[in-house]
Amino acid sequence: MSPTALASPETARRPHAETIPGGYTGTLLRVNLTTGKIWAQPWTPEEMRFYVGGVGLGAKILYDEVGPRVGWDHPDNRLILATGPLAGLPVWGTGGLTVVTRGALTNGATSTQANGFFGASLKFSGYDAIVIQGQAKNWVYLYINDDVVELRDARHLLGKDTWETQDALSAEHGLSGHQMSVYSIGPAGEHLVRFAAIQGDYGHVASKNGCGAVMGKKRLKAVCIVRGTRAIAAADPRGVIQAADDIAHDLKTDPSARSLYEWGTLPAVVGLYKMGVLPIKNYTTNLAPPDVNMADWEGPKLRAGFDHRGHQCSACGMHHCHMQVIRKGPHKGELVDEPEYEGWSGAGWAIGCTDREAVAWLNTRIDRACVDVNEFGWVCGWVMEGMEKGFFTKAQLGFELRWGDAEGANRLLDMISHRKGLGDLLAEGVKRAAEKFGGAAQDAAIYTLKGASPRGHDHRGRWDEMLDTCTASTGTLESGIPVHVTEVGLPARINPFNGEEVARQVAGILGRRHFEDSLGACIFTTRTRLENICRALSAATGWNYTVTESVSFGRRTAAILRAFNLRCGIGPEVEYPSKRYGSIPVDGPAKGQAVGEQWEKMVNTWYELVGYDRKTGKPKPETLKKLGLDRLVKDLWGKKR
Amino acid sequence: MKVLKLVPEKCTGCLRCELACSYMQTGAFQPAKSVIRVSPFEGHTSYAPYTCTQCAEGWCMTACPVGAITITAAGAKDVVDDRCVGCKLCTIACPYGTIFYDADTRKAFKCNLCGGAPACAEACPTAAIVYAEAETVDWLADFAVERSARLVAVGGR
Repeated sequence: MSPTALASPETARRPHAETIPGGYTGTLLRVNLTTGKIWAQPWTPEEMRFYVGGVGLGAKILYDEVGPRVGWDHPDNRLILATGPLAGLPVWGTGGLTVVTRGALTNGATSTQANGFFGASLKFSGYDAIVIQGQAKNWVYLYINDDVVELRDARHLLGKDTWETQDALSAEHGLSGHQMSVYSIGPAGEHLVRFAAIQGDYGHVASKNGCGAVMGKKRLKAVCIVRGTRAIAAADPRGVIQAADDIAHDLKTDPSARSLYEWGTLPAVVGLYKMGVLPIKNYTTNLAPPDVNMADWEGPKLRAGFDHRGHQCSACGMHHCHMQVIRKGPHKGELVDEPEYEGWSGAGWAIGCTDREAVAWLNTRIDRACVDVNEFGWVCGWVMEGMEKGFFTKAQLGFELRWGDAEGANRLLDMISHRKGLGDLLAEGVKRAAEKFGGAAQDAAIYTLKGASPRGHDHRGRWDEMLDTCTASTGTLESGIPVHVTEVGLPARINPFNGEEVARQVAGILGRRHFEDSLGACIFTTRTRLENICRALSAATGWNYTVTESVSFGRRTAAILRAFNLRCGIGPEVEYPSKRYGSIPVDGPAKGQAVGEQWEKMVNTWYELVGYDRKTGKPKPETLKKLGLDRLVKDLWGKKR
Repeated sequence: MKVLKLVPEKCTGCLRCELACSYMQTGAFQPAKSVIRVSPFEGHTSYAPYTCTQCAEGWCMTACPVGAITITAAGAKDVVDDRCVGCKLCTIACPYGTIFYDADTRKAFKCNLCGGAPACAEACPTAAIVYAEAETVDWLADFAVERSARLVAVGGR
């Protein structure tokens, strides 16, 4: 989409007041489920620049409106479904949804993302975010069609999985495909499974920290958005197109993004295996079974042979989101979402399943019942290990569950998502279930003491993510895999088993992910230099947004979420891995690497570099002031300072 | 003549063409005003774009009572806004449904090939829309037949 090829169109007719920056609608959609009241709330250009959108906006609302006594299941908890200024623009992958809430696993802040068409559909309807509060008396779904916003009876949708829910709503409204976006919860969310997720547009999941349980507690089955008819004006539309082209060029050619462009996250399976970071059988080994040839797990091989259909998000050219049809076996002919790396891990290697058709099938079952695929992997793998070692019995579970048994795993999934039998306890997440069992069972469970579930990696070979997952305030990791680290003055390569170097890297990149998650974009289409992203944002809004401002913004958001968590009583005392999660790999490329030995030093270094107080976990007053958060100084440190 | 050749098998349904097109039509990003529209097939699993083929018959031109539709230098049939009275006859006459009525401007609007550099083709990340010398055909017919058969084969799901 070269801007030079475009003839000059007429000047955009701005549908909104001149003061609202381009890229924004200027309106937040507020919904009170208790009273049934729905209203539009304007937000100011100053707030937009300070909080941007997505997790930035969500963190502000969460901090301002959810007090310490409002737990995740309290009606006053807020469920914020936010998008950002780039959503609906031609920048690749900009249908982004960021869910911010007080989540069920940590009972603290949550920031979790899904893509698809949510952001685009919502912006074209005229809203930057939806803020949901209260609790409905009967099950409802939220229907949005431009100015028509209604809470509608959802009782007929109960029990339906997420795909069935979208099928049913599409049929009811006579709208198919991207004419209507539906983001819903499945049976797991209805039954308040603590790791229930929100899924939308067939395969895009906001999965972390039990955001689906929050939605379930509110008795909100789905949010259904008809592709809106409004215009999104940009301050410099040609500039947006030009920045989008530059970003696309980076994604297609840059070594850090190119394989993602071509094959999505599929190459990660073999890539991470070679680093000892592919979790196998609940962290009991890092070696593939003898009958598995890892060459068959190369990215292109995982895609080859399936009836394959592109299923891209809004305006995206990446070859990441796909659908496929199961080729053989008991589920032949079934349409599934191509597993993302996390699916190959959580529905595959973590539970010892290396049958590719079975993994693809189970992964979509998980999305449809709608739980987090990572936490499911840790729960299911833990139960499988327990069956093998005897800390779980057939009598407890009701059936045999062996390593790699996808059908059995699906049975377990059904028990969890309907809280049947042992599933009722497992639905609390692996941490709470393990703490209840204690002993050998607890020793084998993978979790953080905070409750956040690790991503589908073996972090014993990837200390940056273990440190990040344990210290983060988002219910998952908050900094993620650093990309383009040299841009913020960090070394290109470090020794991954030197705790101090790892801490420097994780601390140094803090804020980047928060910025990405505020734009309504995808972390895979923002794997470009920050400068490019800032240029797209500036063209959209008319601001002169710099890299420095973006980093400062990200760190500000991180500090607000941390302040929120501290107010909820979640501090440094729970920033540790469980025994198994922090153990020493017994084989594979990371064999013998002991993260525990360097843990304290690593965490201390991280604290020092991000400017937080090691003892209390609080961002230091000078850190807060530097980020423009003077008001938090009083909240966290009292009036004297 | 260069035409917008559609390759439906390559479309992934990202709808980026609609964004680019609406920008050319209105100056803002507003898919509701795009004149290229991506339709879902097989429920939500296949997509294909469709727009005016600039057909030789030009029923829109024939039907227009005020002569508001002309042929541009790029060979596109285009609506002359000053002449269009918004009677919508062209939208009824067009057998492909690719000329539209804008309630805001009260005029008809359609694909004009962006004066010879179509933004949709530039925007498409998968080359499902190509601006090339080609015979104008019904690009979607075979595709629609195949996808419908596939849908029926799995019991309409």
